[in-house]
Formats: sequence, structure tokens, C-alpha cells
Amino acid sequence: MARRPVNPPADGWSLTLPPRLWNDLSRHLFRADGDEHGAVILAGQADGPRGQRLLARELLIARDGEDYVPGETGYRALSPTFVRDAIVRARDEQLAYLAVHCHFGLDNVQFSRVDLASHERGYPTLQQISDQIVGGLVLTPHAVAGDLWLSDGTRAPLAETVIPAGNLRRLRPNPARPTASDPLWDRQARLLGDRGQETLTHLRVAVVGLGGVGSVLVEELARLGAGELVLIDSETVDATNLPRLIAAERGDVDKPKTELAARNAMRANPQIRLVTVPRRVEHPEALRELVQCDWIFLAADSHAARHWVNAAVHEYLIPATQVGVKIPVTGDGEIGQIHTATRLIAPGVGCLWCNQLIDRTELAIEMHPDAEREQARYIPGIPAPSVMPLNTLAASEALTHFLLASASLHEDDDDLGSVIHRPRIRERHLQDARQDSGCRWCTPTGNLGRGANGELAIRHATNMRS
Amino acid sequence: MITLAPAVAEAVEAVRLHFAGHPVEVVTDGAGGVFVTVEEVPVGTAYTSSVTWLGFQISAAYPDADIYPHYTGVLTRADGQPHGPAIQQVPWQNRPAMQISRRSNRRDSGVDNVALKAERIRRWLADQ
Ligand SMILES: [Zn+2]
Ligand SMILES: [Zn+2]
Repeated sequence: MARRPVNPPADGWSLTLPPRLWNDLSRHLFRADGDEHGAVILAGQADGPRGQRLLARELLIARDGEDYVPGETGYRALSPTFVRDAIVRARDEQLAYLAVHCHFGLDNVQFSRVDLASHERGYPTLQQISDQIVGGLVLTPHAVAGDLWLSDGTRAPLAETVIPAGNLRRLRPNPARPTASDPLWDRQARLLGDRGQETLTHLRVAVVGLGGVGSVLVEELARLGAGELVLIDSETVDATNLPRLIAAERGDVDKPKTELAARNAMRANPQIRLVTVPRRVEHPEALRELVQCDWIFLAADSHAARHWVNAAVHEYLIPATQVGVKIPVTGDGEIGQIHTATRLIAPGVGCLWCNQLIDRTELAIEMHPDAEREQARYIPGIPAPSVMPLNTLAASEALTHFLLASASLHEDDDDLGSVIHRPRIRERHLQDARQDSGCRWCTPTGNLGRGANGELAIRHATNMRS
Repeated sequence: MITLAPAVAEAVEAVRLHFAGHPVEVVTDGAGGVFVTVEEVPVGTAYTSSVTWLGFQISAAYPDADIYPHYTGVLTRADGQPHGPAIQQVPWQNRPAMQISRRSNRRDSGVDNVALKAERIRRWLADQ
């Protein structure tokens, strides 16, 4: 297969397609018959780090000959019934309506004059019906162009379409022009390519939890040249943390963990942009930053952090990696099966709830105010063992995946397996995520892709008022 | 008046409906959830006082989060025996309280909503 263009993030409007939706769409559009096929995407909306984001929630396939029929002015068109049903749903669910079809070609795509004329004939009416964004997309396997008709009466091109699968793919109408990267990055750009390196310098990455694992993630992300880091942790440094916090000094005791992480990141890369949030992740300020990222690393070992990050992943279609280490020790000191887990949380592909990684009662306890939390725990918690090499093992796995995904270097886009490493028996294996069909977070029957109209945003808004 | 996220507001309404006739106090927890106290809840003849208050937090993570633990006024058993397991004396919301720790791990929030769990806790306490 031809090597695909690697496109750094672009400024402007973007559309994110959950991996499974993209697979369904590709299978429908790019068939051996070489013919044109159509569909409609319904999408939520949210602010993003480089412009407004459309978040694909549902794919409505137009069946050939029934819903996608010979057109009066063009070659093919969506049938009036199909369009009506779709636009009514867009109106009722406050979603953008995007009509999709395919063109021939591979790395470049553009609308035909017939396409654009049909937009002008049809979209003003559709927009009146739904009172939402309407638009058209034209696709090849490696390129997407979009024509968006916005609610304020203006029109905007779609700058890029993002598919957060095994590779973090970005499709544009035409491949990005190569730019020479700073010689500083020479050795790693030899692997990532100049555009892969440039991608890193545009990404906004969150690290939730800045302890043993998180401090390593921050250090390496900064050294790799990530453009902006959002650092979230409400804790201060305890003396017993010092052995595991990378580049920590004795004098760091009692300082916020965000301060230490920010210092290390700056030392690694003075150009880096930093946002520090010395808060718990469910705090509105932390959530607001979290949902404006390109990738989230979850390195906080609490059920509350898992729940809120999981919600952000699926409601805002932001890929995340959960990084954790489990060292089971029984009451009498028996060491069980140590394992590290580097878990990909891809939007719409199973979630932490579906995989029973969040405990409802623990979550309730952790949502208590600080003063009540420990007392609410019927059996008091005891500190788990933690050692630096196991933390770095898990962190390294997570960063390697992220790096290869950013530069589109994974061999398989559909490999979203998590890595479980058991150092005591020197075993490492992959584990695919499970998905419950009616999950209220990771499926379109739930909050998938709801963005600014979703539960997180509503909670955030009401909390700010109270 | 505090503005609540829809899921939390609905849960509060369900509690008011279930305990109709009882005063229900609702205070924000400052993080998108609420502390709820239902007054004059009957707990039966096993205690020297047959009514008390029942309190709990509906957190911002509801309905994904359990409602846990529950709190009541400090009760003394009529038979003079100590309380059994799952009951501890703690302060809650600046008053002396008993903490009742009863997990529910089922995910079906239709079966296990706030009002039903509060009722289950009330009955469990009465049966002790
Ligand atoms: Zn066309
Ligand atoms: Zn799920």
C-alpha cells in the first residue's frame, strides 16, 4: 500500500471520526466497484486547541439505489426521504449534518463544480430546518475536503479530518507541504520524518497525575518536543515521593507536583507551552483544559480520575492512554503477580466502564470533599508499593505508542490493544477492549461525540454558576 | 437556589417524591453534587428513638457513582447491644452521625437509584 501523507495539525475547523465510524465509512465508500457512494454524518461540536471541532457521533449509510440515487443535476444524490430523515434528526439532537460522498484519487481531493452548485441549492434550506451547521464532505482514502455552512451565515472550509485510531491520522484536501525541522531534532526526525516531528510540536497533550508515572511522562514529552502540556494534579510532594519523581530535589517537599513537573518540562525544552492546573481532574478548571487536548495521559490511580478522563475521551473524541502499575501484596507480605498496564482508550472503542476498571463505590468515596473522604472509606486504604523502574516501564510503553501514533508509524491502524506486562514471569501480552452495546459513554446510544452539548459540559456550566 | 446538573436534579426530585411529607434539605457540595438530608425518617422499634435523619451525597459523578455511604443521627439500640458491622460513629456535615457503609455494585441505575437505595438503607437499619 502506498505510504500515506503525514499531516501536522492544521488551524481551523476540524472533524474527528471515531475509528470504528471511519472503518464503516471507508468500507462503504471505497469499494472495488469504483463507483460513487454516499452517507450522512451527524456530529456534535466543541472548541478545540486550534479551532472549532466537529465530533462525528453517527454514520447514516445511504444504500445504493434506494437512498443514493441518480441525481437530476449531478451523477448521484441522496434521496429526498433520506435527507429529510437525517436533517430532522440533526435538528432534534442539535447535531451538525454532513453529507458525504467519495471521489476517485488518493492523496488529493476537491469538490467538483456540480458538487458546489448542489451545496448552494440545498444547504440554505437544510440549515433553516435544522438550525445547525450543515455541510458536505468529499473523500478519497487519504484525503478529505469539507464545505461547512455555519450558523452565522458564513461558510468555512474543513481544515482537517482526524481519526484517532492506532495511528493518529489527519486527512486534508492535499498533503501538507514539507517543512525542514529544527536541526535540534535531527536524530529523532530521522525516525518520525520532518512532518512527524512537526506534528509533535503542534500537539497539546494533557498529563493527569504527576506522580511516579506522570513525572516521567512529562519529562519525556518535553524532550520529544511536544508543543504544549497541560499538567493536572492537586497534590503536593511528600518526602516519600522523592525517590520516584524524576529530577526531584530534597527542597521540593511540600511544593505542588505541578510546579515540579513544570520546572522539569521547561528545563527539557524552554520553548514548550505549559498550563498547570493544581486541581483534581473533576474540577471545572481541569476539565475545561482537558477537553481541549489532542491526547490525554492518565497517570492518576484513582477511580474519579478514570471516570472523568473516560468521559472526556468519549464525549470529546480525544484519545487517551491510561498508565498504571499494580503490585499486589497480601496482609502477610506475600507478593502477587506484578503487572503494568498501558491501556489505550480510543473514542468509541470500549471504555473504562465497559472494561470494569471503575468501581462505583470507590468513585462515590473519591467524590467526597477532602475532609470526609478517608472517613467514608469503611476499611481504611493502605499505601500500595511503588518503585521507579516499574513506573518507567509502563510510561515508556505509553510514550512509544503515542510517538508512533503521532507520526503514523504503527503498521496497523486498527491495533488498539492494551499492553499488559508481567515482569515476574517475563510475559507481555495484548488485550483488546470490550464494549457493552448500550454503554452510556462509549456508544452513540450514550454520550459519544456530544461535545459542548454533553454531560461534562452541562455539569461544568452548572457548577460554574453554583 | 443552586443550579444542578440534570442527573443530580432528577435524583433530588426522586428523593423528594419518595419521602413526600418529610422535610428534605439540599446543600451544594461545591463540586457539582449535593448533600441531601431527609428529616424524620422512621427506623422502627429496635432503637430508643424511632425516627432520625438520613443523609447522603449525590456526587457530580451520579448516576455512574454509587451513593455511599449513608449517614443518620446517632441511634442507641433499645436492647442495649452495640451496633453491628457496617455502622460507625463519625461526624458528618458538622453534626454527630452514624455512617452506614453498604455498597451496591450493580450498574443498573433504574433498579438502584438514589431514592430506592435510601429506602433500602432505611429498611436495613430498621431490621438490625
Ligand atoms: Zn463529487
Ligand atoms: Zn463503554
